[in-house]
Amino acid sequence: MNIPATDTSGHAVRARGLVKRYPNKLALDRADFDIPTGRIVGLIGPNGSGKTTALKAILGLMQFEGELDVLGFDPRTQRDELMEHVCFIADVAILPRWIRVREAIEFVAGVHPRFDRVRCERFLANTQLKPGMRVREMSKGMIVQLHLALVMAIDARLLVLDEPTLGLDILYRKQFYQRLLEDYFDENKTILVTTHQVEEIEHILTDVMFIRDGKIVLTSEMEQLPNRYTEVMLSADCVDAARALNPLDERSLPFGKVVMLFDGVERTRLEPFGEMRTPGLADLFVATMKGTYA
Amino acid sequence: MSVHWNDNTPIYRQLREKVVAMILDGVLKEGDALPSVRQVAADFQLNPITVSKAYQELAVDNLVDKRRGIGMYVAEGAREQLLASERERFLREEWPILMERIRRLGLEPRLLLQGLETGGERA
Repeated sequence: MNIPATDTSGHAVRARGLVKRYPNKLALDRADFDIPTGRIVGLIGPNGSGKTTALKAILGLMQFEGELDVLGFDPRTQRDELMEHVCFIADVAILPRWIRVREAIEFVAGVHPRFDRVRCERFLANTQLKPGMRVREMSKGMIVQLHLALVMAIDARLLVLDEPTLGLDILYRKQFYQRLLEDYFDENKTILVTTHQVEEIEHILTDVMFIRDGKIVLTSEMEQLPNRYTEVMLSADCVDAARALNPLDERSLPFGKVVMLFDGVERTRLEPFGEMRTPGLADLFVATMKGTYA
Repeated sequence: MSVHWNDNTPIYRQLREKVVAMILDGVLKEGDALPSVRQVAADFQLNPITVSKAYQELAVDNLVDKRRGIGMYVAEGAREQLLASERERFLREEWPILMERIRRLGLEPRLLLQGLETGGERA
C-alpha cells in the first residue's frame, strides 16, 4: 500500500456555509470544511456541538441550508446514488434485536449492490458470532462486530462512524480500529469518525476537526499540529512576558509553575520561557472548548 | 500490542527509530521483509500515512529496499551503515555531554575503563 502524504487529487466532502436551525437552537452555524479523499478524519466536539447534525447532513438524513458535496453528490437530492458509496455506523442500537446473523447478511446482500457476502463471512469467521445467533443474545461488543463485518464487506468510498465504540470495553475498542486499519482502509477510502475517546484514536487520525457551537473551530492535518501548537511550562516570573504572546490557554500547577498553550508562535520565541512540549489532542480539545458547559 | 509514543517527537520518526534499533540488535536481519504498512498500522493503531512515512525515510537512507508490489526489505549493508552513523552520532552528540559530566564529577578515566571491562566480560 502506497499512500501519498498529501493527497491533492480530490475531496470526499466539501461543505460551505452549512446551517441547520432547530426551533430553539442553531445546530450548525455556517460550518465550512473539506474532507480530502484517502484520509481518516476525526470530527471532535463536546456534547451538543453539532457533530451528529453534521453527519446527518452528510448522509442526507435531514434538510439544511448551504452547499454540501459528498463524493460528487448533493445528499439532499441524490441520496440514493450517494448511499451506494457511503456506509454508516451510528450506534449499536439500530440492528433489530430479533434478527439472526444469517438474516442480517441476507438483508444487506438484498439491498446493497456493493455488498460482498464472502468477505462478510470471512470477517465473521474471526469472531465468536454464529450464523443462527440473534442480536438479542449478543453482548454490545458482539453487536458492533456484526455491524462492522456487514459494513466492511460493502465496497464504499466513505465510511461514517458516529461514536462507534461507545460503551465497549478496551479489548473491543482496540479490535474495532485494528480491523478497520487491517481489512478496510486504503488510499481510495475515506473515514469520518466522531468520538469522545480522543486519546485512543489520535494516532489513527490523519486529520482533525474541532466543532463547537455548530462552527468548525480548528481544522488541521495531525502532522501539522506540532508545528502550530506548543505548550510551555514556565515559572511565575516569566508569566507576564509569556502572556504578551497571547496564549490560547493557561493553567497553574503546584510550585508556582504555569503551563501556557500557544497557537502559531515560533518555538524559538518560547524557548527562553521554559520547557516546551507538543500538546496532545486531548490538551488542545480542553483548551479550545473551555467554557462550553459554563 | 501496546506501544508508548512520546509526545515530543513525530511518531513516524519514533517508528523509524524502532526499526533502526531492530536492525542494530539483529532482530531484523539483512534481506528480512518488513511487515506491511497495513499490518503495522493495524497492530500499532497508527494511520497508514504515518507508517508509510517512516518506511519512506528508511528507504531514502538506503536502509531498506522497496521491491515493487512485494514490500520492503532490509538492505544489504544496512547494519554496517547504521553502526557507522550511530557511532559518529554518539561521538558528536552524546560523548561531549558525557565527557563534560565526567569532568564535573572528577571521575578518573582508569575507574571508568575498569567498569567498561567488567561490563564487557559480563556481556
